[in-house]
Amino acid sequence: MLKQLNSPVMYLICGCIILFVAIMCVVFLVRAYRAGKAIGMDPKILKRTITSSATFSILPSVGIFLGVIALSGSLGTPWPWLRLSVIGALHYETQVAEAAAEQVGLGKLTIQGMTPTAFSTIALLMSICIMWGMILSFFFNKSYINRLEHPKAGKKKKGKSGSSGFGDMAMTAMFIGLVSAYLGSYIGGFVSGKGLFTFSGTLTPIIVAVVSALVMAVFTWLAKKKNMGWLENFSIAGSMLVGMIAAIFC
Amino acid sequence: MGDSKKAPGTMGQNGNIGKTENKENFNCENTENIERVKTLEKYSGRTHILGRFACGVTLLLLVGAPFLIGKYLGGMPDLKAVAGGFVSVGLVWTVSSFVEFLVYTPMLGSGGSYLAFITGNLINMKIPCAMNARDIAGTKAGTPENEIISTLSIATSSLVTIIVLALGVMLLVPLQPILQSPVLEPAFENVVPALFGAMAYQYYRKNIKLSLAPLIVMSILFILVPSLTSQTSLMILPAGALSIILAWIMFKKEKTA
Repeated sequence: MLKQLNSPVMYLICGCIILFVAIMCVVFLVRAYRAGKAIGMDPKILKRTITSSATFSILPSVGIFLGVIALSGSLGTPWPWLRLSVIGALHYETQVAEAAAEQVGLGKLTIQGMTPTAFSTIALLMSICIMWGMILSFFFNKSYINRLEHPKAGKKKKGKSGSSGFGDMAMTAMFIGLVSAYLGSYIGGFVSGKGLFTFSGTLTPIIVAVVSALVMAVFTWLAKKKNMGWLENFSIAGSMLVGMIAAIFC
Repeated sequence: MGDSKKAPGTMGQNGNIGKTENKENFNCENTENIERVKTLEKYSGRTHILGRFACGVTLLLLVGAPFLIGKYLGGMPDLKAVAGGFVSVGLVWTVSSFVEFLVYTPMLGSGGSYLAFITGNLINMKIPCAMNARDIAGTKAGTPENEIISTLSIATSSLVTIIVLALGVMLLVPLQPILQSPVLEPAFENVVPALFGAMAYQYYRKNIKLSLAPLIVMSILFILVPSLTSQTSLMILPAGALSIILAWIMFKKEKTA
C-alpha cells in the first residue's frame, strides 16, 4: 500500500494542486508589489518586506516539513506534502488524521491495515474539516472587509468620536493575546503539567522562549543603537535559531 | 503698469507665481490622490475576484483529489465514515475556522487573508510573519499600505514553505535521518516557543502595561486547568478579547487625559 501511496501518479496529483497554489501566490505577490509602487510606497520597504518574510519563514517551514516526515510513514509522502503545503496546519493534520483513522476502523493511524477506501476516506475528512476558512473567505471576505472599512453611518459617527485610531491598537492587542495564550500554556504546562502545582512539567519551551526573547533583545539593540538596521530582516529567524539550539542543551 | 509688465522677481509677480504654484501643487496633489484612489479601488476589486477564484478552485481541487486518488487506488471514500468523523472532530475545527476568519481577516486585509486561508499554518507562521512585516514597514492596520505589506508577506511566506517542503520531499531520503536525529529532535519540537519568545519581546517591550495582565491571567488559567494546554489555539480568543478590552480602556484614558 505504501508503494501505491508514494507512486508517481500520487506525486502528480498532489504536485499539480501545489503548483496551482504556488502560481496564485506569485500572482498575489506581483500584484501587491506593483500596486504598492503605484500608490507611492518606497520599493525599498516592499523589497525589505519580502526579504524579512522569506527569512522569517524558513525555520517554521522546516518544522512543518517534519510534519510531512511524521505523517509519511502512515499516509505516504505526497498527501502530507500537499496537506502541509496547502491549507493545512501542523497541529491540525495529525489530530484529524488520527480521528479519521479511528472512523474507518483502523484504531490508530498506521500503514498496517490501510486500504484504498480507508486512505481516500481519511484524505477526504482531512480536506473537509479545515476548509471553512476558505469557504468563509469566498463568501464573506469582501463584505466583511467593506464593513470594517466603511462602518454604517450611525456607527461611523460613533467611531469618529471614540474608536478612530483604535483599529491598529486592537490588532496589536489581539496579537499580544495570542502570544500570551501560548506563553501561558508553557508556564501552565511546567507548573501543573504533571499534576496541580507539582512543578515537574517540561521547562524546555519556557527556556526556549526566554532565550529567543533575549537574543531578539540583542538584535534589536544592535539594529537601533549600532545602526545595523539590516539585521531586522533576520532578527526573528536568528533568535528562533538560537532558541531552538538552546532546546538541544535543555 | 499692470503686474504683467513688472520686472521678473518683483514682489507682486512672485506673489502671483506663488499663488499659481500653490494652485498647481494643489491640483497636482488632487490628481495624484484621485489616481491613488482609482488604483486602490481597481486593485481591491480585482483582489476579491482573484481571491474568490483561488479559493473556489483550491476547494474543488482539495475535495476532488481524494475521489481522484480513490479512483486511482481502487477504493472510493466511505461517505458515512466521513460524516461520522466530521461530527466527532470536524465540528470543533469548524468553530475554530469561524473564529479564525473573524479575527485574522481584519489583521491580514483582503489579499493576505485569501492567501492565508488557502495556504494554512496561520498561527504558527502566517500571522506572526505578517505582524513582523507590518512592524518593519511601519504600516497601520486597516490602511492600504498595510494591505499591500500583508499580502506581500503572506505570499512570500507561503512560497517559502512550498519551496522548503518541495526541496525536503525531493531530498527526503538523505534529510530524514538528520532532521529526525535524537539530537535535533528537541530543537524542532520547539519551533513555536522560539517564535513566540522572539515575538513576545518585540510586542511586550512596546506595550508592557497591556501585556502583563493577559500573560498573568492565561498563566493562572493554564496552571489551574492544565488540560487546556491541548486547546491552546482555542484559548487565543479569550486572551485576545481580554487584551482588546484592556487596550480599549487604555485608549479611552489616553484620549480623555
